[in-house]
Amino acid sequence: MRKIDDRLDGYDPGQFKHKFKLLLLIVAVALSLLVIRLWYVQVIKGDELRQRSENNSVRLRKIKPIRGLIMDDSRRVLVDNQPSFALIVIPHRTKETGKVIEKIKELYTERSLTVPSLASLPGRVKPFASVLLERNISMEKLAVVETHALELPGVVTEVTPIRQYLNGEMTAQIIGFTGEVSRDDLDRNTALRLAPGDIIGKFGIEKFLDSHLRGKSGAEQIEINVAGKEVRSIGRIPAVLGDNVVLTIDSALQEAAWTAVGNRAGAVAVLDPRNGAVLALVSSPSFDPNLFNGGISTDDWENLSNDPRFPMENRSISGQYPPGSTYKPVVAAAALEEGLITPETTFYCNGRFELGNRIFRCWQEKGHGNVNLHRAIVQSCDVYFYNLGKLLGVDRIATYARAFGLGAPLGIDLLREKGGLIPTKQWKLSRFRQPWQLGETISLAIGQGYNLVTPLQLANAYATLANGGTLYRPRLVKQLESSDGRVVKVFQPEKQGVLPVRPQNIQLINQGLWGVVNEMGGTGNVLKRKEQDVCGKTGTAQVIGLPQDAKERKLKRVSANFRDHALFVCFAPYGNPEIAVAVILENAGHGGSAAAPVARKVIDTYFARNKMTQTQQPTKAQGAATDVPGRPMP
Amino acid sequence: MIKLDRRLILNFDWTLFLLVLIISGIGLLNIYSAGFSLTNLHQAPLHIKQIQWILVGFVGMALAFFIDYRFLNRHAYIIYGISVMLLFVVFTVGYTTRGSQRWIAIGGFTFQPSELVKLTIILALANYFDSHRIGRGYHLTELFIPFLILIVPFSFILKQPDLGTGLILLILFLSMVFFIGLEWKSLLIAATGGLILTPVGWFFLKDYQRERILTFFSPERDPLGSGYHIIQSMIAVGSGGIFGKGFLKGSQTQLKFLPEQQTDFIFSVFAEEWGFLGGIVLLTLYLLLILWGLKIINQSRDYPGALIAFGITMLIFWEVFINIGMVLGILPVVGIPLPFLSYGGSSMVVLMTASGLLMNISVRRFILQSS
Repeated sequence: MRKIDDRLDGYDPGQFKHKFKLLLLIVAVALSLLVIRLWYVQVIKGDELRQRSENNSVRLRKIKPIRGLIMDDSRRVLVDNQPSFALIVIPHRTKETGKVIEKIKELYTERSLTVPSLASLPGRVKPFASVLLERNISMEKLAVVETHALELPGVVTEVTPIRQYLNGEMTAQIIGFTGEVSRDDLDRNTALRLAPGDIIGKFGIEKFLDSHLRGKSGAEQIEINVAGKEVRSIGRIPAVLGDNVVLTIDSALQEAAWTAVGNRAGAVAVLDPRNGAVLALVSSPSFDPNLFNGGISTDDWENLSNDPRFPMENRSISGQYPPGSTYKPVVAAAALEEGLITPETTFYCNGRFELGNRIFRCWQEKGHGNVNLHRAIVQSCDVYFYNLGKLLGVDRIATYARAFGLGAPLGIDLLREKGGLIPTKQWKLSRFRQPWQLGETISLAIGQGYNLVTPLQLANAYATLANGGTLYRPRLVKQLESSDGRVVKVFQPEKQGVLPVRPQNIQLINQGLWGVVNEMGGTGNVLKRKEQDVCGKTGTAQVIGLPQDAKERKLKRVSANFRDHALFVCFAPYGNPEIAVAVILENAGHGGSAAAPVARKVIDTYFARNKMTQTQQPTKAQGAATDVPGRPMP
Repeated sequence: MIKLDRRLILNFDWTLFLLVLIISGIGLLNIYSAGFSLTNLHQAPLHIKQIQWILVGFVGMALAFFIDYRFLNRHAYIIYGISVMLLFVVFTVGYTTRGSQRWIAIGGFTFQPSELVKLTIILALANYFDSHRIGRGYHLTELFIPFLILIVPFSFILKQPDLGTGLILLILFLSMVFFIGLEWKSLLIAATGGLILTPVGWFFLKDYQRERILTFFSPERDPLGSGYHIIQSMIAVGSGGIFGKGFLKGSQTQLKFLPEQQTDFIFSVFAEEWGFLGGIVLLTLYLLLILWGLKIINQSRDYPGALIAFGITMLIFWEVFINIGMVLGILPVVGIPLPFLSYGGSSMVVLMTASGLLMNISVRRFILQSS
């Protein structure tokens, strides 16, 4: 450190002398300006402004908007608003807010009603401002508060709208729920002009389309006298009601799928292959979104978030499962297109496939004998696909899988969509720092191993086969409408890509898928209808690698958590598909026996209803109730 | 570094100390009034918190007074660097209110590093100009480093976003450049450049900032938003008249027509309750403070002392002018506190520290002279 000495540093204090005059001038002018303005405002305009302050004191009051409705494809209302009572205290009217709150809690406890937590009580309150104590209070609580009004100075009740989720658990994963804006939301999204106490979407469509659903707050200018009492309303800017949302969801299909899954854990995704519209999206187990109205209680929240079956997870878009045999059409398409096989190429299946000293088994222990493409798909011969896997190699399979929309999020109109996983050599190297093993490609070819897909991706991949090779973005929102019914925005089908597979090859695979359902010995015969119009594929995905030894394998299969996931994916009608369905049931066993019946319910519901509308069409009046607009008849 | 010289006490700048004390005292009374009608549910009343901050401010003032300013000047870049780092910290872990990320929390208190930067930028610029004395007007190219010193915190602060503080930094920079002198050709280029860049800057403003500036020119554009602020502010000030409504009797203040009146709009509370006469007294006190600052510049015995004193004086002057001008509706609404009057710890502590530094420079002229 340099020593500080007390000498001058060659600085001439007179250096700035000439600038001081100018500085003084600037300061003088600026302050004089302020004095002149102060004189003008306080003395010249003083009387006038004093009048305004005494007689015309204007304060703003926010007018909250009402959220838009959410409807299904046929405009059936799924989410409505209903009036509810909120408990409010005005601290300025009672000198002891704390005591009043204690009194309320006491009254509640006496009657063994749930006592609200008041985490959001503000630190300071303006005169006559109100503080929300509890939303959506029960009639019992309302009665208690009203009868003890005299002991509760400053406490009032206010009517506010809350959400009503008419389908409860059935659509909870899609529609989501709302809640009071959190501190975090307030801080991060200033552009939205949110205020504490506002209700915003927290999950599902409620969150995804929050800016449309929420509407815009209005304001009322209220004249207040010197004592702080409201005198009259001077003017108001009305609140803009939120837009209504029309979903692509078909409630009948949603209900059919939801009921068919029952209390099992799993997911169903139903798409229209012609345009990517999501007709149903089920995830089970689910939760009751109405619990979130007026703030979820701590107990309910604990129960939900600690449930080992994860009811809050939307399995249809964020559940990632090994595709199992449903992956085989992807591998077949790759092999055909790469010219590695023709439809006539056969491989011999004796129930096992040897690679080095490892043995890969076919699910049919006795073997399938000589198998060509069609039979391999129909009977889901593993050995045939082991051979294709060996020919293709992991990276070529990955290229085609990606073209089918696997391995990356599809961009559905919901948050938290997962992308699944399509492994490549490069991926394994950077993830595990290990080279790819050929054996891993063999497992991969029958959809085991690192492969992960979401139910939505599966449905979408099969929809792509169904429509001849066009990959659409799955759409959940059909249109937005203003509260007066004007259409604000229509969401058109969005093509995301085209399969790099020639039509004749797609045709070959689809024929195989038709055989799975309709030919003798096919694994998906559950879906065989008298119209013989369904194409599909079963899948059984191993949860963990099973021991090679047959006895140990059986033992492990018995324990429920290690049981296989059952998958079924299908589309119909063959030739001119209108619907694609993917079903996954966790730890439910075999795809053909567990998952296929769920798909059958959905397919039957779809065609039963369509037949009905067809026969009813001549009588217009009747048709209106069940008609599904915008869907051309088959 | 710290030498407890008897001369520091003998020549203590009582005038400056008392001016700061009186204005802060007025501020305290005023904040008491602004918070008077608020119901405190579980937070300490505003004036209690402000007293705590003033006490912290005294510590800052004492430190800035006893540490030789030439020591501070020598380490100006480090001090400046730390304050810019704090700004960066705000950026990553900062605490956000009303959409701008300005605060960091230290044990229950929150602190705004951008206030601190107002002082450290003065130190950094003074240090640069001190070590690059050329005895003539500066060319634009010679101002590259000072410009860098400005632009780093400036861009952080605009990003927060905090238009008011950014503006103050810019004005401090321009004031200091004016003071040390710019070569006339460079002045001409800078002036035309500024004129051209203004419309460009418009595009970099956030929507709400543009809206505020537009609203300034016509408050009726946004009668519910910032126009409401201006209108209510004028009613509060105007209704005070010549003699004011009296302490705790300002109806506009007590009925809280203006949200967050205790911070940037605190002058409207004062003007409503103390009237035009009160306003004149307050403005006179500020004038004395600024004139005293100019005197210290004039008498200081070395170059860095003069530059630091100049920067601090200008900081107080511009904040007073812009803040009161805004409350009186002659300047647009930007977030700049009124020195020693606005509620808020960061501004209070930084300005008290700054006045400690000013006293430091004021007193050491005797020490420098005598040796």
